[in-house]
Amino acid sequence: MNARSWLRLFAVVLAAVVFQVAVLDQIVVLGAHADVMVLIPAAAGLVGGPERGAVVGFVTGLVADLVVSLPFGLSALTFTVLGFGVGLLGLLPASRDAMSVRVGACAAAGASGTAFYALAAVFLHQHGVLGASAASAVVIVALGALVLAYPTLVLVRWVLAGSASSSFIPSGGSAA
Amino acid sequence: MAANRQTSQRVTLVMLVLASVTVITLDYRGEASHGIGHVRNGVTDALAPLQRGAAAVLHPFGDVVSSAFHYGSLQAQNAQLREEIGALDDQAAGRAYAAGAQDAELLRLAHLPFAPNVPQVLTQVISRSTSNFADEVEISSGSAVGVGKGMPVVSDGGLIGRVSTAADSTAFVSLLTASRTTIAVEDTRNGAFYVADGGGAGRPLTFETVTAATPPRRGDQLVTSGADAGAYPPAIPVGRVASVGTAPGGLNVVVTVTPTAHLSELRFLTVLQWLPPA
Repeated sequence: MNARSWLRLFAVVLAAVVFQVAVLDQIVVLGAHADVMVLIPAAAGLVGGPERGAVVGFVTGLVADLVVSLPFGLSALTFTVLGFGVGLLGLLPASRDAMSVRVGACAAAGASGTAFYALAAVFLHQHGVLGASAASAVVIVALGALVLAYPTLVLVRWVLAGSASSSFIPSGGSAA
Repeated sequence: MAANRQTSQRVTLVMLVLASVTVITLDYRGEASHGIGHVRNGVTDALAPLQRGAAAVLHPFGDVVSSAFHYGSLQAQNAQLREEIGALDDQAAGRAYAAGAQDAELLRLAHLPFAPNVPQVLTQVISRSTSNFADEVEISSGSAVGVGKGMPVVSDGGLIGRVSTAADSTAFVSLLTASRTTIAVEDTRNGAFYVADGGGAGRPLTFETVTAATPPRRGDQLVTSGADAGAYPPAIPVGRVASVGTAPGGLNVVVTVTPTAHLSELRFLTVLQWLPPA
């Protein structure tokens, strides 16, 4: 990633965190709210591959950790692994073919990332996060992701388009 | 070349994971934790004006969405509210009815039936936690108006939780259902003392007690006992006993407690400027 990509990444992540705390946190359904921060590394993995997904996940996670009171670094850890894992899945040809597939994959990755975050929190002695509230959080994040995934994918593609030699950034359709 | 790229990807992943673990470790220990806390407070203060504005605009929309899922409980709360308004004196009831339910809630908060001699800060909830796994809310008052870490927070229904962090203009309140919460409580029926633990968001409080002792009964009102080194003033309503069961082994009873306050619909709160005595 070059300097232009980094600048774009910071701009998008900062805008996302402002949108998260000012808008999404206000709309609570079943005790949970949508989460755009977890979608960014998922989208980066799908669009840019595992390495870029991990880097974007790390940066996004550090910024997200500034606005939550759970252990600092927890989001960075989970988003890094999420971005890398989704990037590996993004190597599958079918995931690059249609935007609808990417939106669905991004939403599913967001829900998986939320569940993974809960498991990581338990390992860091944040007991009580598993249970019905975690299940509702995964469901609400997944539903919100269906709405937020497309604009997130567009923004992340814009971020990563500034970097050279990426074989994962077609404007649509397959990378071939 | 493909092998080189795979190696590079794995190295990047390992480096970033190690960096994340290092950051987590630093947050758990020593001076780095204080620095991280200061940065977090600064970010919280910077975002607070946006949150207040968004809360004022989006709260009605959020109420519509939420009410679709909680219509039954809203009906019951509305009936309770009408009953409570009717118990006020004529002049106060007239003002409250004319001003609406919001002012009625503020009126109740200004005349709390518990902690009468404790200085109070009336505040407003501006956001739930950004994390879906942190059982807390953000309030619009911070250290600038005397809100400090560890201070109890109450609603007109009873105990809500404690201030977990306080920035200059906002603060986070850890709800009493949070998994790390412990509260010394007293049963108002038999005077017995227990220690209740939070079970996580949306879960009741729980505690165990020896069966030979005076057991609690379903419906018993529990209040803060003031015994846990004075973490809370005494006699603040905490909850009611929801169930009494037998723990594995048959020696203890396991009790679940439903909080008296409505933790899912918080808008106006009161911070009690109370700190444990030295």
